[in-house]
Amino acid sequence: MSAYRNSAYEEDPDYPDYSGSQNHTQRYLKSPGPLNNSDEPSTRSNPYPAESRTSPDYLGSLAEPDYPGSQSNPDYPGTMSHPYSAGTDYPKPLAEPEYIGSRRNPYQPGSSGDPDYSQFQRNPDFPGSKGSGNYTGSRINPDYLDSLGEPDYPGAQENLNSSGPRASSNHPGSRRNPEHASPRVKAYIDSLGEPDYPGAESQSNHPHFFGEPDYLRAEDHRNSPNFWGEPDYPGAENGHDYGSSEDPEMARQMLSRTSSVQPPFHYEDVSPLGVLGENDYPESIEMKSVGMANPYPGAPGNGYVNPAYVGDEGPGPAYGDPPLSGHDWLSSPQGQELIESLIPMTSRDRIKAIRNQPRTMEEKRNLRKMVDKEKSKKSRRILELNCCAQCLNSISLAYRRFKNNLSELLNSISLWQKTLKVIGGKFGTSVLSYFNFLRWLLKFNIFSFIVTFSFIIIPQLTVMEKNHLQFTGLEFLTGAGYFTNTVMYYGFYTNSTIQHDNSGASYNMQLAYIFTIGGCLVVCFFSLLFSMARYFRNNFINPHIYSRGIAKLIFCWDFTVTHESAVKLKQKNLSTEIRFLANHSNPGAVLLLPFVVSCINLVVPRFYSMFRLVERYEMPRHEVYTLLIRNIFLKISIIGILCYYWLNIVALDSEECWETLIGQEIYRLLLMDFVFSLADSLLGEFLRRIIGMRLITSLGLQEFDIARNVLELIYAQTLVWIGTFFCPLLPFIQMITLFLMFYVKNISLMMNFQPPSKAWRASQMMTFFIFLLFFPSFTGVLCTLAITIWRLKPSADCGPFRGLSFFIESIYRWIDTLNQTPSYLWVVWIYQNLIGSVHFFFILTLIVLIITYLYWQITEGRKIMIRLLHEQIINEGKDKMFLIDKLIKLQGMEKRANPTLFTLERRDLEQWGPQHVRQHDAPRDLRFRQSFQEDNPKA
Amino acid sequence: MGNKQTVFTHEQLEAYQDCTFFTRKEIMRLFYRYQDLAPQLVPLDYTSCPDVKVPYELIGSMPELKDNPFRQRIAQVFSEDGDGHMTLDNFLDMFSVMSEMAPRDLKAYYAFKIYDFNNDDYICAWDLEQTVTKLTRGELSTEEVSLICEKVLDEADGDHDGRLSLEDFQNMILRAPDFLSTFHICI
Repeated sequence: MSAYRNSAYEEDPDYPDYSGSQNHTQRYLKSPGPLNNSDEPSTRSNPYPAESRTSPDYLGSLAEPDYPGSQSNPDYPGTMSHPYSAGTDYPKPLAEPEYIGSRRNPYQPGSSGDPDYSQFQRNPDFPGSKGSGNYTGSRINPDYLDSLGEPDYPGAQENLNSSGPRASSNHPGSRRNPEHASPRVKAYIDSLGEPDYPGAESQSNHPHFFGEPDYLRAEDHRNSPNFWGEPDYPGAENGHDYGSSEDPEMARQMLSRTSSVQPPFHYEDVSPLGVLGENDYPESIEMKSVGMANPYPGAPGNGYVNPAYVGDEGPGPAYGDPPLSGHDWLSSPQGQELIESLIPMTSRDRIKAIRNQPRTMEEKRNLRKMVDKEKSKKSRRILELNCCAQCLNSISLAYRRFKNNLSELLNSISLWQKTLKVIGGKFGTSVLSYFNFLRWLLKFNIFSFIVTFSFIIIPQLTVMEKNHLQFTGLEFLTGAGYFTNTVMYYGFYTNSTIQHDNSGASYNMQLAYIFTIGGCLVVCFFSLLFSMARYFRNNFINPHIYSRGIAKLIFCWDFTVTHESAVKLKQKNLSTEIRFLANHSNPGAVLLLPFVVSCINLVVPRFYSMFRLVERYEMPRHEVYTLLIRNIFLKISIIGILCYYWLNIVALDSEECWETLIGQEIYRLLLMDFVFSLADSLLGEFLRRIIGMRLITSLGLQEFDIARNVLELIYAQTLVWIGTFFCPLLPFIQMITLFLMFYVKNISLMMNFQPPSKAWRASQMMTFFIFLLFFPSFTGVLCTLAITIWRLKPSADCGPFRGLSFFIESIYRWIDTLNQTPSYLWVVWIYQNLIGSVHFFFILTLIVLIITYLYWQITEGRKIMIRLLHEQIINEGKDKMFLIDKLIKLQGMEKRANPTLFTLERRDLEQWGPQHVRQHDAPRDLRFRQSFQEDNPKA
Repeated sequence: MGNKQTVFTHEQLEAYQDCTFFTRKEIMRLFYRYQDLAPQLVPLDYTSCPDVKVPYELIGSMPELKDNPFRQRIAQVFSEDGDGHMTLDNFLDMFSVMSEMAPRDLKAYYAFKIYDFNNDDYICAWDLEQTVTKLTRGELSTEEVSLICEKVLDEADGDHDGRLSLEDFQNMILRAPDFLSTFHICI
């Protein structure tokens, strides 16, 4: 695109007429002359429309700033190129919405006089337009209409032939015309030399920057209003020149192509916003941010390049704002619109929207201030009488403050901030994810502990009997003996109602036990579900477009890594991987093998470790996945067998207090697991390092096995969840375990490991871990406990449920007692009609299924939408390429027609492009201008 | 608390909270980090909004950035005039975008700026070469680098114009789930 603009700039001299003329002033002074021949057919060779037509995309934007002539138009350039600065420099006010329409006033009369013009406007079946929907979408834009209408000027068509973007620069005129060349150079230097471009300064810079070189001429034209007011802008001579030298047929063909391409281009502008606005996505936040992406300052061809467009019809005005700095931007129509759109939002959404603005702090702060001001103004005006709303307002403010404080408080207890940072800096996000997971589990256990401690253990402690068993110290390992008669195990808890001093307050231990454990599990369930959903949403937005390409390898540098050697290692690994990917394009095919191998390995677990030594995978990820799958099956089978043993053998043997026995067993399992982990970390990994460093140096340092370690955590957590019922203190034990584990692992990591060379996908891993924690682990726990509570008979002599035939019977009995107290009848009603009723669950399931189905359908629809949009992008690319080819061809023809032209390499042109773009995009990039000068060696 | 009040007014802090993804405590922590970079330059009283800039040499020597191959770009992108010298606002902006809480699109936008070495609003082949060279410490040969650039463009260039626009980039980032966790600097 920059190429086009660039050429547009230099286009001027292409007119044979002008190439001879020494400056633009002459040119314009000259042009009023032919004005008088308003009847001349060649009036249509008016250069302005021609300019806009030659640009295949963004007509509005292209037509403008580069074109020196256009700058001399007091109305036209200012608003098009910088609507904001224009406000001060040009009489035409910015905010005027009709502006775009009136912008082309000088030409309008001519165009309306042309029968084809109107026809074009109204013809919905525009040739080659990509789809009527698109077309209508873009038709609202007057800019667009203008540009469509213009191609019909015969003269303009002729112009087109001579004004191909590439050819233009070849034209000697561009070199010869000193007046023309100098502004370009000057503007460029200006833009670079300007060290600072903030705020109000930009206003003075803009005109200088763009307008100055031609400014005098603009003055000229202002002084001759007749010239502009004239309906037909005739360039009689030019018209003749062009007409004679070009092939009209070719031009026509070209034009129809051009215009057919336009709809998609405009569509591109509109679509994301329009789609968003219309389809009313439920997760508006996620989608909004997608829409937001479009008009970002840098978004080429969007709000900026074509400000008229976005500001005009863009359905997403909230984000459709071209960037200007500071107050400029806020006082601009777009800024105003943004403010307007922010006002009705809730304060939470508003802050979110402000935060998500890709602007500098100062701009955001000003925006926030203005929105607040407007809001208070409005609320004062509207809600003066309505004290209720004011009340709500202050409540929402208070709530916000409270939430801020709360999140601060929660943040302040966030553990291991510094340690985690060091780990991330040295080992990258992947290893960090293990420790984050550990911390996350720790939080779970802390929560469980607090709940059980306060609702089960403390009440029990108040009625504790004397423990007659001897404490030997061996109990720490076995978990039995002395501990059996403590609050640690199920068997110790009383089945009575605790009551002190006849104060009236009573505490039913049975209910407390079952509700506490149940509540714990419910909270765990939802927090697991939500975090799983969040991870899925973030990491698998659209799995079917997920690619394992090279591009993201390059752009996903791990910014967390700060340690020097780790950075070096990472760079080294990356180069190997990039090399690998560059040479092997189909890594997906080998995925099958590890999967089959892993299945076989499951059957023959004894060969498990040996297989690991033998197996060689091309992609490191495959090895990881195989390992994971094996480990998971191993852990599942271990826990599954244990559960079967506990529930079907231990529980039915009706030994004395089997719940306590199970609790002890789980305790032992956990303890053993912990001891082994400790030993492994302190001894095994240490020995491995000694061996790797001293004895067999070829082995080198080992890498941290994230998969194995995480699975150990999941395994332990599963045991804790199962065990909480039998041993309420288990979360506490696990809490300590995890706490110690963090430090042990941390020390071991720092001493014995090197950063992973494998390409770990940390975020996906985390999603996968949480999913694992949810699916086999937590759901398994729920099933186990459900079986225990509904099916098993509690032991007769111990625990809060002694004497009952089922654990759940405590609930039944409770309901029965409630049934007799009239004030609690609603509880009974809820129980009977909702919880105890099959019909209710049936209906609930049905509703959930329907909702799921609907969502699924929406997802499917969106997938199609995404595919279509993707195709659209590809088509646009094709159109663009086609156009460029055409233009090159046309230039070739022109060159033949005019052999004196010398050739400028296309590449040169491309090089000029970006720099040139920078000149008139300066307002959008104020902050980067300086760096451009320093950075770009090409400059 | 007493400390906070001498550095920022209540309104200032609230504005910072609303404009960044940080809590009060984190803002204070960042401020002290910033202040530590140039203790003689940065006053401990920001209530009057002093116009102070910490030079790039100091910003780039922060342990978080010191070894980052893109440190210069990061500083340039977030500094006001692109020279890498940062005011406190810029500094907070930078870490806000790099924080865990920042949404994907915001991160993608700035990542695009960072990778767009010549600031032409496109990631062209030359930008890609710079990126790859920085990423691999120049371990790849020129041919390999150009091959990679070709591949990347081939993969991510949606409209086939030979360079990556912001849309192309965002599109690609959408397919790279790791981006969110890796475009992140712990503070």
